[in-house]
Amino acid sequence: MVSPVGPEVTVLAVCLPFAVAVLVPAVHRAVGERTGYVGAAVALACFGMLATQIGSEATVSIPWIPALEVSLRFHVDGWALLFALLASGIGALVFTYSVGYMYGEEGLVRYYAALLAFMGSILGVALSADLIALFLFWELTSVCSFLLIGHHTGEADSRYAARMAMIVTVGGGLFVLVGFLALFVASGSALGTETFSLVAMLEQPAAMRAALRDAGLFVPALFLLAVGAASKSAQIPLHFWLPNAMEAPTPVSAFLHSATMVKVGVYFIGRLRPLLESPEWMLLFATLGLATMAVTAILAVASTDIKELLAYSTASHLGLMVAAFGFTVPYGAEAGVFHLLNHALFKAPLFLIAGIIAHEAGTRRIDELGGLRRDLPVTALLTAVAALGMAGFPPFNGFYSKELLFEAAYEVAHTAGGLAWLYPVLAVFASVFTVLYSLRFLALFFGTRPDELGSIHHPPATLLVPPAVLVAVAAVVGIAPQFAVDSFVGWAVEPTALEAHEMHAGLPSSLTPPVAMSIITILAGLAAYPFYDRIRDGVRALTAAGPVRANWWYDAGLAGLESASARSIPAIQNGRLRTAVTWVLGATSALALAGYAATRVSLPAYDGLGVSLPTILVLVVAVSVALAVTRAPSHIAGVLTLSVLGVMIAVFYILASAPDLALTQLVVETLLLLVFLLVVEELPEFYGDLDSGRAVRDGLLSVGVGATVFLTVLLTTRSPPGGGDSIARYFAEQAVPEGGGTNIVNVILVDFRGFDTLGEITVVALAAIGVLALMSRRDRGDTA
Amino acid sequence: MTTVIMRTTARVVVPLILVVAVSLFLQGHNLPGGGFIGGVLATTAFALVYISYGLDFPRVLGHDLEPVADVLDDPIVVLYRRAFLLGLVIAIGGGLVPLLFDLPFLSQTYVILHDVPIYGEVEIASAVVFDLGVFLVVVGGFLTVLSVVGAE
Repeated sequence: MVSPVGPEVTVLAVCLPFAVAVLVPAVHRAVGERTGYVGAAVALACFGMLATQIGSEATVSIPWIPALEVSLRFHVDGWALLFALLASGIGALVFTYSVGYMYGEEGLVRYYAALLAFMGSILGVALSADLIALFLFWELTSVCSFLLIGHHTGEADSRYAARMAMIVTVGGGLFVLVGFLALFVASGSALGTETFSLVAMLEQPAAMRAALRDAGLFVPALFLLAVGAASKSAQIPLHFWLPNAMEAPTPVSAFLHSATMVKVGVYFIGRLRPLLESPEWMLLFATLGLATMAVTAILAVASTDIKELLAYSTASHLGLMVAAFGFTVPYGAEAGVFHLLNHALFKAPLFLIAGIIAHEAGTRRIDELGGLRRDLPVTALLTAVAALGMAGFPPFNGFYSKELLFEAAYEVAHTAGGLAWLYPVLAVFASVFTVLYSLRFLALFFGTRPDELGSIHHPPATLLVPPAVLVAVAAVVGIAPQFAVDSFVGWAVEPTALEAHEMHAGLPSSLTPPVAMSIITILAGLAAYPFYDRIRDGVRALTAAGPVRANWWYDAGLAGLESASARSIPAIQNGRLRTAVTWVLGATSALALAGYAATRVSLPAYDGLGVSLPTILVLVVAVSVALAVTRAPSHIAGVLTLSVLGVMIAVFYILASAPDLALTQLVVETLLLLVFLLVVEELPEFYGDLDSGRAVRDGLLSVGVGATVFLTVLLTTRSPPGGGDSIARYFAEQAVPEGGGTNIVNVILVDFRGFDTLGEITVVALAAIGVLALMSRRDRGDTA
Repeated sequence: MTTVIMRTTARVVVPLILVVAVSLFLQGHNLPGGGFIGGVLATTAFALVYISYGLDFPRVLGHDLEPVADVLDDPIVVLYRRAFLLGLVIAIGGGLVPLLFDLPFLSQTYVILHDVPIYGEVEIASAVVFDLGVFLVVVGGFLTVLSVVGAE
């Protein structure tokens, strides 16, 4: 099937949300509260543009930094398209829902702009095939989510959650960046040229794996990428930010938890699966995923708040997907991809329903809710379909993908034997808790209605239609799973699969071990449900202790950092220039020397002093003047002696045939002398008494700094890129024909490297503006 | 520093320094010199004036100025401030011109004029505009810092 529209349309789909995000202030001024509909229209437009690409597979490449082989490369295939369509489709519904939910709230401009940029970054992650572009979009999602989670800037909880999400996910992103660099290095020997192109790497996965292993980078790269994906997708022990992120407005939670950001990690794991598939891969991700699935499902049972329950459940389902992609059997990819779709279809409506409950009933506490079915009959019906899908009951959509996970786990255990049997056991154990909390959520609508619950209004259409649409799609998938597989899911599985496999989904017709696992799960869940309160109290008692909770580690770590910096500031920044300079120079030298030691640089061989007699004379004078400076009896004498040193450097430049530098040195030296003379008037006449301890310390420091600079010059001038003096020769040859000037230095400054010079004069201007700003502030008296 | 010797020396030397600075600036493309060096030298000249006469040196030259309380509002400082802003505008604006001809930002070119009276052959490089920006930024920026900090 060939699409009538070119793949370039995907670029437009990624750029459009960003472009509109910039225009949101103007749009909001024009249409006010209805900005959400504009956002929905944008999301729908993206959805439409991406939908034209269904069935095609293509790459579009726009050069970005050609010198580094970096481009904005967008690749369309089933897996990317599934994720991008989910993000834009659910995005459209979330925007519509926001119109009703966020009515009359403050900061709507920021909210809609951030939400649009968020959607754009998600689309960027889904479609990028260049590692640098991917990293950029990856971190952009973190930044946008920071803005969205912290939407209620006045509330401390909101700020706390936003900062936590930012620290965890952006920090994880840095691991990804290093992992990408490892892939980049390996691509050099695997593909012939070093490239950031993910498409090129995925075309030769075996060569990439071999190259990574040869370089000893396979396990480190796998670990680094896994940390990044785990931080984004809330895998243990980094799962704690996700429940905290429920501080975000509910539409954001629906978007964040169901369709998009948290799934970016899962999406990424699916994307890399064919590239890094190996025994280590399976051990890492299957274990990590199943452990997350179990731990967070247990925590979901202990939740007190409906959004908290859904958030922990999201982490649990993400664990399921990670584990599925971890299993290197065909069922694994199928389970991962299919559950990604199913989870979005039931979790997004559940969050939107939680929003309806909070909006109409005025509380989110589980214990205060019950019997809502009489007041919200339509919502109850929607919840039933979505919650039973989450529980994995047949014939609802979640059942099929969880069944595929059981099949994958069983097959792996059956082949490997031994400890691998823990996988299916753990999967069943975690799923029992899934059934428990799903039923608990559903029970909000049944049973007795607490008396304290006031009157509950029927939700407006803008709140009800978006979840209804999603539930309808979920119901279709539940009734006709094979139709979904044939029309879309099967195609989306291909890029993540290791080998071709005919995918089937449907109600089981015979009793196989995985089917038995499903039956055990459901029966155990139903049997345990009457004891829900006792289980919940037990889990709460167990997790009450400090170090068991991941949150505790985060808080303790952050508090430790804060107190450490608070304690160190009086020592480092005590208001004296001398102290500040000591620390800055000392730290710089220590870091530079440590860097040289870590990279085991070798010193160039000593091949005699290749200097002429005049140069030696100049250097001798310079050194003796430098020594004389320390013995100068007054400030004036010191400054003048220092100027002699500067002049000697100028003479040295002349001897090294660099008249331009010599001229600059002389002029700057003169100016400095004038400035010094200006300052000297204000200084006390005599030096104070010398403290011998301080003199020793300063002496050591200056020797250290001198050694660092000496070493740096020695090392950096040893082997210029391109070998020898090729750069110098290039400039010498090109100066006259290209720049029309015979003064090479000046031609370089204004013609060849004008941009650098522009940066330098900007620095000069900024320094002047900074001084002006400082002075004008001080005169106004607000130095605090 | 406002001794008679200093003031007399400054009167003689400053115009010379300024002429050298301008010539350094103009010859920069082919001989040692250029916007930065010329700018620093010009700054030195003004700094010398400043050290010998203080900020009210225009009054010495016969100009009548209202005394101001705040150094930031001093007409000379305002002038310095405008100089480096103008320099930035010239440098960036000159860099933008090549975009009109579909060339990258900051592209430079040059023409050589033949048979010019007295000089004979004169080369005019577009880079001189950029260099002028550098010159003004250096003079304006350094003098702003010098005068504002020095006034404290």
